[in-house]
Amino acid sequence: MATQNVKLPDVGEGVTEGELVRWLVKIGDSVKADQPVVELMTDKATVEVPSPFAGLVKELKYKEGDVVPIESVLLVLDSDGAKSAAPATAAPTMSAAPTAAKAPAKAAPIMSANCGTGADFYPPVAGSNVLATPATRRLARETGVDINGLQGSGLAGRVTQEDVQKAKGGGGGVPAGQARLPMKDIPRPSVPNQGGSMEERVPLRGIRKKIAENMQMAKHIIPHFTLMEEARVDQLVLMRTQAKEHAEKYGVKVTYLPFIMKALIATCREFPMFNASMDDAAAEIVYKKFFNIGFAADTPNGLMVPVIKNADFKTVLQMSQEIGQLAGKAREGKLALDDMKGASITVTNIGSVAGLYATPIINHPEVAILGMYKIMDKPVWNGKEFVRGQFMNFTITCDHRLIDGAVAANFMKAFVARIENPSQLILDMI
Amino acid sequence: MAEKFDVCVVGSGPGGYVAAIRAAQLGKKTCIVEREALGGVCLNVGCIPSKAMITAGHFLQRMQHDAPTMGFQLPKEIKVDMSKLQDWKQSVCTKMSGGVAQLLKGNTVTVFMGEGTFTSPKSLTVKGKDGSKTIEATNFIIATGSRPIEIPGFTVDEKEVLSSTGALALSEKIERVVVIGGGYIGLEIGSYMRSFGSAVTVVEASPALLNGVADPDCVQVVAKKLKKSGVEVILGGKAKGWKKVKAELEVTIDVGGKEQIIKCDKILLTVGRKPNSDGAGLKNIGLQIDERGFLKVNAQRKTNLPGIFAIGDVAGQPMLAHKASHEGVMVAEIIGGANRAYDAKTVPAVIFVDPEIASAGLMESELKAKGITDLKIGKFPFGANGRAVSMMETEGFIKIIADAKTHIVYGVHIVGPEASNLISEAALAIEMGARLEDIALTIHPHPTLGETMMEAAEAALGHAIHIIQRPLTGAKSGEKHA
Repeated sequence: MATQNVKLPDVGEGVTEGELVRWLVKIGDSVKADQPVVELMTDKATVEVPSPFAGLVKELKYKEGDVVPIESVLLVLDSDGAKSAAPATAAPTMSAAPTAAKAPAKAAPIMSANCGTGADFYPPVAGSNVLATPATRRLARETGVDINGLQGSGLAGRVTQEDVQKAKGGGGGVPAGQARLPMKDIPRPSVPNQGGSMEERVPLRGIRKKIAENMQMAKHIIPHFTLMEEARVDQLVLMRTQAKEHAEKYGVKVTYLPFIMKALIATCREFPMFNASMDDAAAEIVYKKFFNIGFAADTPNGLMVPVIKNADFKTVLQMSQEIGQLAGKAREGKLALDDMKGASITVTNIGSVAGLYATPIINHPEVAILGMYKIMDKPVWNGKEFVRGQFMNFTITCDHRLIDGAVAANFMKAFVARIENPSQLILDMI
Repeated sequence: MAEKFDVCVVGSGPGGYVAAIRAAQLGKKTCIVEREALGGVCLNVGCIPSKAMITAGHFLQRMQHDAPTMGFQLPKEIKVDMSKLQDWKQSVCTKMSGGVAQLLKGNTVTVFMGEGTFTSPKSLTVKGKDGSKTIEATNFIIATGSRPIEIPGFTVDEKEVLSSTGALALSEKIERVVVIGGGYIGLEIGSYMRSFGSAVTVVEASPALLNGVADPDCVQVVAKKLKKSGVEVILGGKAKGWKKVKAELEVTIDVGGKEQIIKCDKILLTVGRKPNSDGAGLKNIGLQIDERGFLKVNAQRKTNLPGIFAIGDVAGQPMLAHKASHEGVMVAEIIGGANRAYDAKTVPAVIFVDPEIASAGLMESELKAKGITDLKIGKFPFGANGRAVSMMETEGFIKIIADAKTHIVYGVHIVGPEASNLISEAALAIEMGARLEDIALTIHPHPTLGETMMEAAEAALGHAIHIIQRPLTGAKSGEKHA
């Protein structure tokens, strides 16, 4: 019987491993060449990996939730009987995140009697020598953990609920190249099951899981504080309105975001500790000599942070164009891995929807996040009368390990000066 | 027009009706097909009626033997109105079966009374009194149960040769009965018939009663009591045939090559049960059946056909109601979208003989077969338990078998009063992976039979309080005692 191994190909872009979100095939399925077989999540993108060969699925080497290193065998195909297609290139489709959007719907209780006497369910049944209570065995099943493979930490090798949860939350949370921080001390309390129709439980998978992990880690290790300020933006509004008209000739929509980014870059040059990282493992402060500005995008799949790379070398027009493209890709779930990598500081404009101020969470390993909020009219006393003033609120959220409150206040002052006075912004804008 | 359902359950025994209720609870449009009576064998001609009769027999025995010791002045002969007893027994069954009907109704499960036959893997025809009906369902749960086996020379007619069903329905005392098969059903029915005054002879083909199904030490206690009560037991006896001679029946048996004739009035045939996999069109639609007649299923009780599940007796050993119910809930939840698989460590088993036998986990012989021989075994007699003595039911013991190193409980075997009600603690202990200390250190209320469990665990650790254990060595917990 001829068998062929389907490996996880090198997806490039520095990715060394990915979390298996979902098998798209099961044992016994017939697979065509180039048919996607598995949904994998790397960094923040979900990709579908196709099989380069045709055949019958004989063995699945990993289970959902596993972290799979590149070049490891994902599944074994029995190529007998199947048309032996020439090995196609195994480049995974990197723009397959729409599948992630479907995932929650699939996980909800549905009528799916996926029958057959084969082992078409996962995890396998707990062996008779596995020492775990019925509730723990069920937890393992429901969270997709093979309890047979666990080393119980309890008395006499008993597998505890915690062991199962740990196995579920398993490593690989932080992309390679970033400072890995200990996550094991974070408690993972369970929420009592209300039972029956009172609730619906959906596995924490894919991008949502990644967001959860990142947020939890950031909040866990970074002592956050947020400073809030308002800036009068009458001149900025005027400048942007005029710029918008010019840009329309090029077919580009200019928003406030590139101007804010430019002001941020200029201010960060004065205050380099905002465009930095804390390497906890090495106990070093990393000052970055480049400006890759992340911007938070709300998408159907959850929060994504595409990055304008080397924003300090780009014109407002270029940046506007790029922001438009990336935001579009984010909404369609087509962001590539590379689109979301390497930010040195992030801007969030959630405030454009609602909210006077927010207290955002820093995108680790960055040390600051700038919040911008909606423009509002306010009356201003000019000594004689009240006139219309346009104001915009800003927040700067900082890692207090590196940035002190007074520094943040000075940073904000310098930033707001550029926002309120575009001629100053133009002076040091590259 | 075919009626369409999400789930159709075939058979309304303790597997089927439970599965139907859970499926309905999960919002599935569910129906159940039953050809005889709701509740299946269990509620109508099995577990429940036999327990009613056993209770009555036990009650009578206690009046005859124990009540006078306690000072009751009763007539020497206590008369039993067998037909009234039958009425009471029937009222118990009717009540239980009616309860099932109400539960099904309350959960909006549609009930179809009639014989169901698969016409395709997606449709079933039900022939009932009011004609026939076609049901189409996305999922089928086959819970058709099992029925008694017959052996050559003996055909159940429920007149002379009775099955358990016929025996339970007797409304008069039978003078002499031959029970063929010394398994749990034969002994349960044979024992209560003896209580009501029948002369009972049990013929068992193997060399032991309850062979392989119960701990030999437990069986010994029961065998002794059977003998004391006047039940004759013939081991290694093969029933060859029977004939009617005038008003009596003559059963021919072969014991070690010698033929023997036993005269009696009724024959009770209890040589085992076989799965009901030959009806309902199961074979026609291509379901795989193993050589013993069980539908082939995996740990999720899925058959080889998509959307068809099988649970209970028809899906494999042990053929016990509570296993069927557990599977029923599991399968309904799988259909509801949950990830489930059968991973119970033990199915506790109870034999309602006198005294009762109950077990959970493994027997010593089974452990030995697995190569596990380093054991700690503790045994504590009911004779040393205050409640048992005050109940005048002191026969039997609890035996706990645990791993000598880890003290994790492998098996618990009980013979004695209320063994059936005591075994659940043992089942919980085994499912939880409990150690001897977990049982020994749990405070058990006094005075109860349950204390025996705690003391048996202590005995396995070498230091039970209410029996003398030697050698005495200045006991330290966990130390190795003989």
